[in-house]
Parts: sequence; structure tokens; C-alpha cells
Amino acid sequence: MSRLLDIQDLCIGFSAYGQHRRVLHHVNMHVEEGERVSLIGQSGSGKTVTMRTIIGTLPMPPGKVEQGSIHYAGQSLLDLARAERNALKGTGISIVLQDPMLSFNPVLTIGRQMDDIIRYADIRSGRRRPKAERRAQMVETLRKVQLKDSGRVLDSYPVMLSGGMRQRVLIGMALLNKPRLLIADEPGTALDVTTQAEILALLNTLVAKEGLSLLLITHNLGVVREMADRVYVMERGHIVESGPRDDIFDAPDHPYTRRLMAAVPPLYGHKVKTVTHTGPGDMVAVEGVSKDFLTRGGWLNRVTGQFRAVRDVTLNVARGDVFGVAGESGSGKTTLAKMILGLTSPSAGEIRLDGRPVSDFAGTRDFRKLIQIVYQNPGSSLNRRRTVADQLAVPLKFTGQDRAAITRRIGELLTLVDLPQAYASMYPHELSGGQKQRVAIARALSVNPRILVLDEPTSALDVLVQSTVIDLLNRLRDEFDLTYIFISHDLSLMRNFCNRVAVMLRGEVVETGPVADIFDAPRHPYTRALLSAIPVISPEEDARKPPVTEAERAKVLATSTELED
Amino acid sequence: MFSYLLRRAITLLLVLLGLAILIFVIARIVPGDPARIALGPLATADQVTELRAEMGLDAAFPVQLWTYLTGLAQGDLGKSLLTSRPVMDDIRAALPATFELVLFTVVLQIVVSIPLGVMAAVYRNTWVDNVLRVVSLIGVVTPGFVLAILLQLVAAHYLGFFPVTGRLDGSIDFSADITGLLVVDGVLAGRFDVVLDAARHLFLPSIALAAAGIGQVMRITRTAMIEVAGRDFIEASRAYGIPERVVTFRYMLRVASVAPLTILGLEFASLIGNAFIVEFVFSWPGIASYGVRTILQKDLNAVIGVVLVSGLFFVVANLTIDLLLGLLDPRHRIRAARDR
Repeated sequence: MSRLLDIQDLCIGFSAYGQHRRVLHHVNMHVEEGERVSLIGQSGSGKTVTMRTIIGTLPMPPGKVEQGSIHYAGQSLLDLARAERNALKGTGISIVLQDPMLSFNPVLTIGRQMDDIIRYADIRSGRRRPKAERRAQMVETLRKVQLKDSGRVLDSYPVMLSGGMRQRVLIGMALLNKPRLLIADEPGTALDVTTQAEILALLNTLVAKEGLSLLLITHNLGVVREMADRVYVMERGHIVESGPRDDIFDAPDHPYTRRLMAAVPPLYGHKVKTVTHTGPGDMVAVEGVSKDFLTRGGWLNRVTGQFRAVRDVTLNVARGDVFGVAGESGSGKTTLAKMILGLTSPSAGEIRLDGRPVSDFAGTRDFRKLIQIVYQNPGSSLNRRRTVADQLAVPLKFTGQDRAAITRRIGELLTLVDLPQAYASMYPHELSGGQKQRVAIARALSVNPRILVLDEPTSALDVLVQSTVIDLLNRLRDEFDLTYIFISHDLSLMRNFCNRVAVMLRGEVVETGPVADIFDAPRHPYTRALLSAIPVISPEEDARKPPVTEAERAKVLATSTELED
Repeated sequence: MFSYLLRRAITLLLVLLGLAILIFVIARIVPGDPARIALGPLATADQVTELRAEMGLDAAFPVQLWTYLTGLAQGDLGKSLLTSRPVMDDIRAALPATFELVLFTVVLQIVVSIPLGVMAAVYRNTWVDNVLRVVSLIGVVTPGFVLAILLQLVAAHYLGFFPVTGRLDGSIDFSADITGLLVVDGVLAGRFDVVLDAARHLFLPSIALAAAGIGQVMRITRTAMIEVAGRDFIEASRAYGIPERVVTFRYMLRVASVAPLTILGLEFASLIGNAFIVEFVFSWPGIASYGVRTILQKDLNAVIGVVLVSGLFFVVANLTIDLLLGLLDPRHRIRAARDR
């Protein structure tokens, strides 16, 4: 085998405002022909800089290659003339970016964007083809990524396709000009877990069938285990460990790799923590709750249709529970949470918090002191223009305390979430993702609520940071006798954090019960399909996943190849 | 599409009706008797009563409103006290001049500000960007009348490159009967001397009027371009080998043009009413200066007429922009289709 991509001793630095910082240190890595290689690292580890340097989209300046070389198929990429370098884009090396929602131009049709990619590659290579021939190539490529109805896909705008389809089209776009090396940045991680499983299977098929080489950039170790022959682990710009996949997973050598492995919440096996703690009495009672959304339109905005987002849901959350609500996008879990928070009212049924109907006191001071929320993305749930202290003071001002008391309370809150006092005067952009989420938790706790709704509180965080935030939440629950409602699609995390879960599908709760029962003996096919789709990091866990037949899977899951209406 | 347009057209009429009623009510509430003002302090009480009757001011308020609205439906806005002519005739005479000036101004804004905004974004944080930012800031902060007088003094009076005032040189015998726009009618009549002279007259006032908008739209274009440049799909297009020029114009500018176009549409509408300073300086016989004169004279019929015209331009400009954005951005269209 020959080396298709060979990076030797690569050092890259950034200079900005007179400061110089090296972000890649003597990186050595290679990809053989037909090989699947993974580059693992947390955000900020330098994996994206590596990717951009390979494809040639790293802005220079401020970036600068200080030493080292990158060879692709024998050519030294960093020494090529600009035109020759550009000629390789899309035709030699191509990429699939992470987010299938953001990777398309929203105002051009898929067909137009694909046509541009083929046309300009043709122009560079001095070829001329009629439009019909280019279209034939697009249809052919869409067939490779297993999309039916390619004509409709090509005439669609990106917003008209589902997430899974967009991810497929995105892979198709990367493959249009038949590249030999495909670089994939976190493929499928922005999608639901069942769709992600389909996408990963597709990528594996393509590598085998099309003779592609794959460089996968990710922080998800479960994905790596399913997708890589060989692995590089990157920490702060250094490759700290590399080797065949099984070696790394069976016997991680570097302490950093070991820490990463340990931080991944296990789905099955002896490492699983089962939480059983629960208290007396119902904290949240949801009884026969449904929510309909009306679609309006036509003359005078008449009601033209009805959509049932939540259907006859009954749940009881006991005092001290960590109650998980699991489900994929569109399952109704967020709508349910909004009703519990009194932000929208149910169309039918009743919700009681601590014995009082939500409809009686939603929006009052008592209500806000009872229940609070922590959102998914602390980057957008915090106000970028206000300091940490300002944001923590907002809810406190409604409690009628004087300024000195508020300042004192802000100090207490920061201590509570393990942040130094000096952070009070900082702005969100000066904090890391985990620190921002701690501020968001502190803000939710400021009025001493008894229930916290946690809406995917760690899904935007790296796995090491996630484990520290989960530890914090566990500690706070014990300390303040809190009740959590934890909304997530991450079932591995739920297994170790919650004591009871409910699984939602298309607005209905299909299964609910103690966490160990649901995970060890799932009854509903959808729960089984969800569990079996989770990428895990050991064969032990894989072996214990519940069985699910193709027929069952087809019944409960929409595949990512169907068009939305 | 047709039903969408129909719906928008009906909303547009309702907005105008609401505006007409509102401005009529306001005109009747403001203190001061229009008849007394029209006749002057020396007129007798009898004369005032007589004129009030003639103007219909003695009737009950709902009757006045009804008379007014039925007149409006037939294109009758009443008589102007200032010119003693039907307000409709005054507007018909003055509107084309302002319309032509504003049209010219907005075209100037588009062709100058958008390319410069793109340039500032492409060369951001270099000397090109810095120069453009300073220039745009100067454009925004310089008051229109200062610029108007400066241009008139330097380019017209001292250098003599452009005429000082007016729409057309006195020596040219031409009346714009078709559209009222001299440049357009000149072309239609095959009188290219008229076209050239009218364009020369338009040049300075439209620069004075355009400057603030140019600076603003340029900055908005720059910001929007930079925001779009940071999106994933731009990096993806580059990685797929789309040339930089195509990435900038087809991929970035098309997405980034939503904000500047919205501003330009509102700019167009507001200039119709706000052009009066420049119109005064350049003795431009337009509707903005007519509006100001009638307000000072408490010539209520005329004021209502001018406000209505200005309102009409606002709603039409808004509709046009909405349709344009629908063409540029399929998400607007898809949402509109879904709502149906």
C-alpha cells in the first residue's frame, strides 16, 4: 500500500495583534490508499486547523506553516502553484462538513450547487460537457449515496430536505468529482442517532465500493470505533497517541486517551452507574396531556390543519428524581417541557407541580421560584453583551433584595458551580463552553428552585467537560434536594445520570420506567432501535444491545432517504 | 402566487384607507381654523363663516369624513388653499420631479454602495477597508444640506461642471407629458439633448441625497458579507473548488443582499417625503418642498394629499422588496406557500 496523504513534522502558528501562537506541533500522520483513519480530539485541539491545512482553506495570514510538509499522491501540497493546488480541490481531496443544515447555500437549489461544482472542475481541467451530461453525473452520484427520486432532490432547495437527506446530499457533493481522499468532519453528529447510524453505514459502504480513503475528524469515540482502521489522538496540537483501532480501544496508552475513554458514559456493562435514589411524593404530575398546533393560512388566516405534537402523555416525577425524557427531533419532548414550564398551555389534560395545577400559577413569582430551566447551548442562552454578574443579577432583582444582598448571592452562586469569584466581571466569550454552562446553571439556581428542566445541557460540550458538568449537577441535586427533568437524545448519558426515563416517539410516550428496566429489557421496538443505533466503545456493550429486526426498524423509523412534504 | 399578490394588494388598500382616516382626523384635531388662516387676520367673522361653509367645515365630523373619503375614491383631494388649485393637480405636477430625483438617488446608492461594501468585506482589515469605512462614516455624518450647498458651490458655481438649480435648462423647450420624468420622456421623444441636460441637473442633488444612504448601505453590505463569509457553506464551496470570484458574488452576495435591499426599499420610500432640504437648495419643483410649504401654511387638504402619496410609496416599496426577497431567497417563497 502507498501513502495517499502524508503529513510530516507539520507546525502551524497564528499571529494576530502582534501575538504569535503555535497551534500544531510537529504533527506526523498519514493515510494509506483505501484506509479509514480517524483523528480524535476535543474542540480546540487543532483537528480543524489540520483539516483546513490539508484542503487549503486555512486563511494565511493569520495562519502560517512554520515547518513540515504535506504530500498528497506524491505531490507536495504546500509547494504547489496556486492553480495546481486549486485543481485538487474537490477532485483529489474533498470534505464533508459537520452540520448538514449549514453546509448548503440556502438560496440556490441542490442541482444548481452541484452543477457549479462539476462545471468549475471541468473548466479547470479544460474539459467541456453539455448540461445534460453534468446532470447525469449528479443523478449517478445521488444514487451512490442511496437517494431515490434524484430529480426532485436536485430541484429542491436545502430547506425542503430532512436532516438525514441533507447529510446524504452533502456526501454526494463531496463525491461529485470523484476524489480519492474524503475528509469528514464529525459526520452525522448533528443528526438523530438512528439517522447517524445510517450515514455511518453509508460512508463505510462508499469507502469499500468506491475505493475512497477516509480521514474522519471527530470527538465521538463510539463513531471512531465503527469507522476507523487506524486512529490518531490529538491534544493541544500534539499527536499524543496513534495506532490500529483495536490497540487504542483495548489498551489506551497515553493518559489523555485513557481519560477520554473513561469519560464516555457506558451504555452497558460493569462500568454503568445505576441511579436509584428517589424521594417521597410527586413533584411533577402530567395527566393525559396533549398539545395541538393549528396550521393557518389562506384568506383571513383561517385554520387549515392541525398537528398533534404531544398525544395523551401521562407521567409522574417523584421528588428527587432525575427523570429522563428521551426522543429524537420532532418527538414532542421539547413541547412537553414547555408545557411543564408553563410557557405554553396543553390543549387537553392537566399538569401539576408540587400538587398545584400549572394553569393556576404559571407566570407568578411562586411558579418561577419552583421551576427553572437550563438550555442546551450556553453560547446562545447567555447574553453576549452582559457580564456574568449582570446575568446572574437579572432573576435576583425580581426577588426584591437590595444591591448588597444580590452581590453576595452572586458570589455564593459562583462558588456553588465551582467558578472563581473573578469570573463575575467576565463576558461569556471569555469563558469556555463548560464554564458558560456553569453560569447558566448558576442563573437557574439563583432563585432556589426545586425543579430544574435540563434541555440537553451537555450536548454542546466535549465529553471530558460533559462529565464534570454531570458531576456538578449530581452534587447540586444532593445538596439542594432538587428534582431534574432531563431532556436528551443521548441515551448513554441518560443510563448513568437518570433514575427513571420515558421514551417519546411522535408525541407519545411509548415506554417509561426505572432506567435499568428500560435499558436491560426494552419492550417497545422504537426503544430497541434507538439503543441499537448508539455507537459504543467496547464489544461488550455492542453484544448487549437489544436485538431489533429490520421490519421493526422500518415500522418505527423514517429513513433519511424520504422526502418531506 | 396570484392569490398571494391579491391578498397583498387588498392589505395595501386597507393600510392606505386607515392612513387616510387617521391623517384626516389628525388634521381636524389640530388647533387653528384653516378658514381663518387662509383669509388672514383682517377678514371679518362673516367672511370666515362663509369660507367655512364653502370648505365644508361646518358639517358634522362623520359627514366631513364621508365626503372626504368618497372624494378620495374618485381621485378628488379637495382644493389647496396655497395654490387655489385642486390638490390632485398640484401633486400630479410636483410628484414626477421628486420621483425622478429619488429614483436616480437610489440607483446611485445601489451601484456605489453595494460594490464598495463587497470590496470592503473582501479586503477586510486592510487599508482598502479602512479607507472605505472612513468614507462611509463621513457620508453618514455629513448633513444633507451641508453637502448640497458644498456641491452647489464647488461643482456648480466655481467649477461650472453642473447647473446650479432646476430640472432643465431654460433654453430647452420641452414638456414631459408622458411619464413626467424628463429623462424617460426625453428618450421616448428621441430628444437626447433633453436627456443629457436633465441628467446633468439630476447629478448634484442626487449625490447630496444619496450620501447618507450610501454610507449606511455600504456598511450593512460589508457586515452582511463578513457574516456570510464565516458560514460553513462558504468554506465548503471553496473546498469543492468553486473559484473565489463565484464564491463572492453568487454564493456570498446573494445571501448577504437581504439586509441592504430592505434598507434601500425603505430609503426609497422615505426620500419621497424627506427630500425637501435638497429640493429647496436646488430649487427642485418637487413634492417634498410642496409638502413643507403646505404644512407651514396649514393647507390641510394638501397636507393630507402629500401624506397619502408618501404612505403609498411606503407600502408599494415594502411590497416590492418582499417580492424581490422572495426571488432572491427561496425560504421566503416556501414559507409563503406553506402558509396558504
